[in-house]
Amino acid sequence: MKRANISVNYVARSAVIAAVYFVLTTVSQSISFGAVQFRIAEALTVIPFVDPAAVPGVAIGCLLANLSSPLGLADILGGSAISLAAAYLTHKAPNRYIAILPPVVMNAIGVPLYLAPFFSQPYWLVAAQIALGQLTVIGILGLPTLSLYEKILDRYSKSG
Amino acid sequence: MLKDITIGQFFPGQSSIHRLDPRVKIIITFVFIVIIFFVRSFIGYGMILAYMALAVILSGVPVRYMLKGLKPLLFIIALTFFINIFFTSGEKVIFKFWFFTLTQEGLLQGVFMGLRLIFLVAGTSLLTLTTSPIALTDGIEHLLQPLKIFRFPVHELAMMMTIALRFIPTLLEETDKIMKAQMARGADFESGNLFQRAKALVPLLVPLFISAFRRADELAMAMESRCYRGGENRTRMKIPKTASRDYIALAVTFLLVLGILLNSYL
Repeated sequence: MKRANISVNYVARSAVIAAVYFVLTTVSQSISFGAVQFRIAEALTVIPFVDPAAVPGVAIGCLLANLSSPLGLADILGGSAISLAAAYLTHKAPNRYIAILPPVVMNAIGVPLYLAPFFSQPYWLVAAQIALGQLTVIGILGLPTLSLYEKILDRYSKSG
Repeated sequence: MLKDITIGQFFPGQSSIHRLDPRVKIIITFVFIVIIFFVRSFIGYGMILAYMALAVILSGVPVRYMLKGLKPLLFIIALTFFINIFFTSGEKVIFKFWFFTLTQEGLLQGVFMGLRLIFLVAGTSLLTLTTSPIALTDGIEHLLQPLKIFRFPVHELAMMMTIALRFIPTLLEETDKIMKAQMARGADFESGNLFQRAKALVPLLVPLFISAFRRADELAMAMESRCYRGGENRTRMKIPKTASRDYIALAVTFLLVLGILLNSYL
C-alpha cells in the first residue's frame, strides 16, 4: 500500500477528537461564535503536541462546528485551514509551553484576514478580540487539558 | 436538551437550490463572497439583492427564518456601522460632539459597510441552509481532490469527516448523560466566574475522552477486520452529477459578476 503511514487507528482517533471538539462547541454554543469568542473547544488545540492524530482531528472539528457559524463558508473553510496550520505547528513544538502558542498566535493573525473585511473593522481590532478569547481559553484550560489527555491516552487507548 | 441540537443550519427541502450539486454551490458561494467586495455603488447592491431574492425565493427558505440567522450578529453589525461612521473623514459635517464628528461621507460609509455585512452573512448562510452537512463535506472532499497531487491525504480527511459526523450524535448523548450524572453528584456547570466554570469542565472532559477513545479503538478494530485499507479502488454509493440546473446557476452567477464589474469599473 502506498499510504500505509495513516493507520486505521489514526483515522478513527482523529474522527472522535473532531466529534469531541464539535460537542464541546455545541455545549457552550452561545459564547463560541463571533469576533470575541470563548470557545471552550479551542482548549483541544494543544492536543496535537502529544497526539499527531489530533492535527486533522482539531481541524475537522473546527470545520464541522463552523457549519453552524453565522458567517458561513468563510468561517467553515478559513477557520479550519488556520486550525490545521496551527495544529501542525503545535505538533512540531519543542516543548509544552511553546506548544500552546500557535493556536493563539495563528488564530489572532489568520482569522482577521477574512473576518476583518467581513466586518469592515480594522485588522488590529479583530486580531485583538480573537487573541483575547483564545488566550483566555487556552491560558486557563490549555496546559491542564494537555496533562489530562496524556494520562488518559496512556491508560485507555490500546494503540498509544 | 442536547439531543435536539442539529448539525449546521440545514433547512430540509426539495427545491431546485437544495438539489444543486454541492460542489457548484460551494463555488458559487465563494464567487459571491469575493464579488461583494467589488461592489462600489448602491446600484451594485441592487443587483446583489435581486440575485439573492431570486435564490431565496427558489430555495423556499422562509425569509423570517433567514433573518433569524442574522440575530446573533446584530451587535457586530451595529459595531461595524458605528466604527465606519466615526472613523471616516469627510467634508460635510452633520454634527460634532467632543471628538466624535459625524459626516455625511461617514454616514454613507457606515450604511454601505453594514449592508455589505448583511448581504455577506445572508448570502453565505443560504449555502448552509440548503445543503446538508453530509452533502457539504462531500462537496469539500471533491473540491480538494486536486490536492492529491501534493500527496495531501484527501480520502483520509473525508473519511474522518464522515466518521466524526456519525459520532457527533452519539457523543452528544454521552455528554448529556455525563453532565446529568455529574450534576447528580453535585457538579455545577452553570454558575461561578470564568475560572470556576473552566474547572467545572474537567469532570466532564475526562469521562468524555475515555468513552471517545474506547469508541475509536472499537471502530478501528471493526474497520480493520472488514479489511478497510484506504481510498484506492473504493467505490461510492452516491456519485455527484451535474445537471442542467447547475449550469443555469453558474450562468446567472456569471451575469451577476459581469454586471457588478461593469458597474464598478466603467
